[in-house]
Amino acid sequence: MFGTLIEIGIATVDPAAPQASHDAAFATLAALQACLSRFEDDSDIARFNALPAGASLTVRPDTRAVLTAADELRQASAGLFDISVGSGPDAWCLDGDRLHKLDDRVRLDLGGIGKGYAVDCAVQLLVDRRIDTGWVNAGGDLRVFGDIDLPIHVRDESAGGVRPFATLHDGAFATSRFGAHARAQLATGRGSPAPLAHVSVAAPRCLWADALTKIVAISGDVAHPLLARHGAQAWQH
Amino acid sequence: MRVVLAAASTLALAAAPTSAFAVEYLSAEQAAKLMFPDADAFEPRTVTLDAAQLQQLEAQGVRGRSANWSVRIARQGGAALGYVVTDEVIGKVELISYAVGVALDGSIKQIEILAYRESHGFEVRLPAWRRQFVGKNAGSALRVGEDIANISGATLSCTHVTEGVRRIVAVVGLARRVGALPS
Repeated sequence: MFGTLIEIGIATVDPAAPQASHDAAFATLAALQACLSRFEDDSDIARFNALPAGASLTVRPDTRAVLTAADELRQASAGLFDISVGSGPDAWCLDGDRLHKLDDRVRLDLGGIGKGYAVDCAVQLLVDRRIDTGWVNAGGDLRVFGDIDLPIHVRDESAGGVRPFATLHDGAFATSRFGAHARAQLATGRGSPAPLAHVSVAAPRCLWADALTKIVAISGDVAHPLLARHGAQAWQH
Repeated sequence: MRVVLAAASTLALAAAPTSAFAVEYLSAEQAAKLMFPDADAFEPRTVTLDAAQLQQLEAQGVRGRSANWSVRIARQGGAALGYVVTDEVIGKVELISYAVGVALDGSIKQIEILAYRESHGFEVRLPAWRRQFVGKNAGSALRVGEDIANISGATLSCTHVTEGVRRIVAVVGLARRVGALPS
């Protein structure tokens, strides 16, 4: 799902609760993938990508929520955050639940923000189902809740191996690797190339952790003002 | 939200990129309990090989390396269940600590990597790789490329751990034959 492996950890005293909650959380993730993934023909994003210029479509509430966050980041980062991956940063606009396409060439891809949102939704579902403690990890976009300090290991993409990085309590964490061949590099199309590096961001919500890794990597600024706005912290390593 | 950076991370962040890399996964005691969950006691015993016994190992194609081996005998209600031997071999340049659990019949029960200190070759920790050893004994080849598959990119770790396991199985076999370990 979401092009990665998803892990859901649940700690609770009620032995019947975990399996049902686990299944419900995965069902939530599957539903989100069906509306957010550009690889699902029937998703809002795939349908938008197939539209001609000047057309628009009504998006589902989850898509709207992610696009609203993406729009906020686009504006606040002066276009650094770009879900069109260079195909037309300003060629889409959201008006309520209507998504307008302003240019034939624009193609959206929520790869830099959608997984984080999905993790938040799965966590919210578990909390609503009165699971005290647990975590959801979508290929490194991670959120943990309840009374647990979750150890985080970071994989070294260039040298191999993993190393302990931190422990996380009640928050979200995401890491991206950026460099000559990373996709985010293509997304910017401006400025000097970012150095090879891993960027990790911790934030209260996974959507911001996921998306802010891209802003930190592209700007090269681990103290980017947007981090503070979302209660986030970043590390380049 | 609370983030506590691991000691290694703060160090790495302060001193820019570093290749320092050491992870301790299990202690020898934890590994022994993992291998013999039914054991109620682990008796530590040092097996000392004399020159003739080291030569005997050499004749089996195993370099004895060390005359002293510390073995934990897993016991349940006094009866021996098997043995756990911990050892270290060099991976590429750093030591890999590992433990081998040997059943009473001399066959390998389990392999655990206790500590790994290099940036490359950590794949020897993969359960599928370690599982290849299970059930093999002193009569098995226990050589990378024969009955143990190599892992691309982790050749030195694979080779050295496999040599170490072969040596331990031979040492345990010899110690049982000469009565230095219960059998």
